[in-house]
Amino acid sequence: MIDVILAVVGGTIAVTIIGIIVGLVLLGIDRKFAAHMQARVGPPLRQPFIDVAKLMCKDSIVPENAVVSVFNAAPLIALASAVTLLLYIPIAGFYPLFGGLGDAILVMYILTVPALAMVAGGFASGSPYATVGAQREMVTMIAYEFPLAVAIVAVAWRFSMAGFSDPFSLATMAGVGSGVVVWDIVGPLGIIGCLILLLVLAWVTPAELSRVPCDTPEAETELCGGLVAEYSGRNLALFYLAGGVKTFAMTALGVAIFLPWNISWFIGITGWTALIADVVFFLLKVIVVMFFSVSLIRVSMARFRINHLVSLYWGYIAIAALVGLMMIILDVFMKGGVVL
Amino acid sequence: MAVIETLNTGFGSWNPLIWLAAFIIAIILAWFIWLRGESDYRKGTEQTKPFISGNAEPEKGEVHVRGGNMYWGFTNALEDYYERLVPLHSGILTDYILWFLGVMAIVMILVLGGGLI
Repeated sequence: MIDVILAVVGGTIAVTIIGIIVGLVLLGIDRKFAAHMQARVGPPLRQPFIDVAKLMCKDSIVPENAVVSVFNAAPLIALASAVTLLLYIPIAGFYPLFGGLGDAILVMYILTVPALAMVAGGFASGSPYATVGAQREMVTMIAYEFPLAVAIVAVAWRFSMAGFSDPFSLATMAGVGSGVVVWDIVGPLGIIGCLILLLVLAWVTPAELSRVPCDTPEAETELCGGLVAEYSGRNLALFYLAGGVKTFAMTALGVAIFLPWNISWFIGITGWTALIADVVFFLLKVIVVMFFSVSLIRVSMARFRINHLVSLYWGYIAIAALVGLMMIILDVFMKGGVVL
Repeated sequence: MAVIETLNTGFGSWNPLIWLAAFIIAIILAWFIWLRGESDYRKGTEQTKPFISGNAEPEKGEVHVRGGNMYWGFTNALEDYYERLVPLHSGILTDYILWFLGVMAIVMILVLGGGLI
């Protein structure tokens, strides 16, 4: 019992610290990427840390129309739920801290909690901009959840067909222990299906993170920040931190499902050097995933209107996800790859 | 120990109490960060008025987003679907039971058909 308590307390504290630091560094790298693609120098990598420090010194205003308890609780819930995501996701090829205590379905549910907290905070702000922003956030969530679910279920089903126990476990998907990843068990059709699902996950990421072109809930130029329009100071700082942690979690989820390889076995090193090499390699993969699914998309596109966003995710991206799933199913029926 | 046992289905796992414990610890840590921030602001001044780009705040009823508009965007994008779906909601109970039985029949055919295959 004591070891369980220690694992929960120690693990959560460690993951909170690591999640916040890596999340803010990722936000800094994203800003640097965006700046260079727009022929700007951009802010220094530590700018997100400076922003948070600055916000912590600012007045934390509670609007007179706000429901104070919900307004103040929303940022806390957003950050805390984003942190718990990292407890279930394999990092750098290690078994997740809570690996046997929750699976990919749980991660999909927890992913909605920070967004729901922002919705609650938006509605509790008592501002028209925030209310419209919260409404848009709910619609956005409905739009992207289906393709995300199809992508994850398709991969889990393929592991199930290959005879793996606990196919919904992210440790199983990441090949922790077995060394077998989804690309090892699929045939040619399955490879095409997985590539489509990888693209689907890359397109779900900006919507999940409310980044351009899916930032309709915040939409600075039309809603002045939308659901965070009334947030300032320490409350806004916590939402910012939650955004950083969620960026880390989403990109780590993509890496765990589709790009889970380590580098230590490839270059034949062991011990501490292997550990450091795997962690560095994992962070590089996270940065690459973030570049293609966040930075590149947000620099090259303008914001979608909310009804276009729903059409895109329930139409094109959902169909793409179903095509990916069908190709994986066909792959199994044609005995491609590893089938039990 | 039974209360913290994990539900293992063979396909996945789920332990709500462990997640809840981690969530509470994370909330406490977030609260510590929140406490370190500036808590002061000028109550009862212009600062606490809702921001509407400098415009005067309209009557609250006028800017209230009604439940019917809550999912605008979704209903607008799927207009063709809703145009067909809404008229089916006749409000007559026997119609709904007929739909229920029809859908149940289709589901049973799919399940039993899938089982036979």
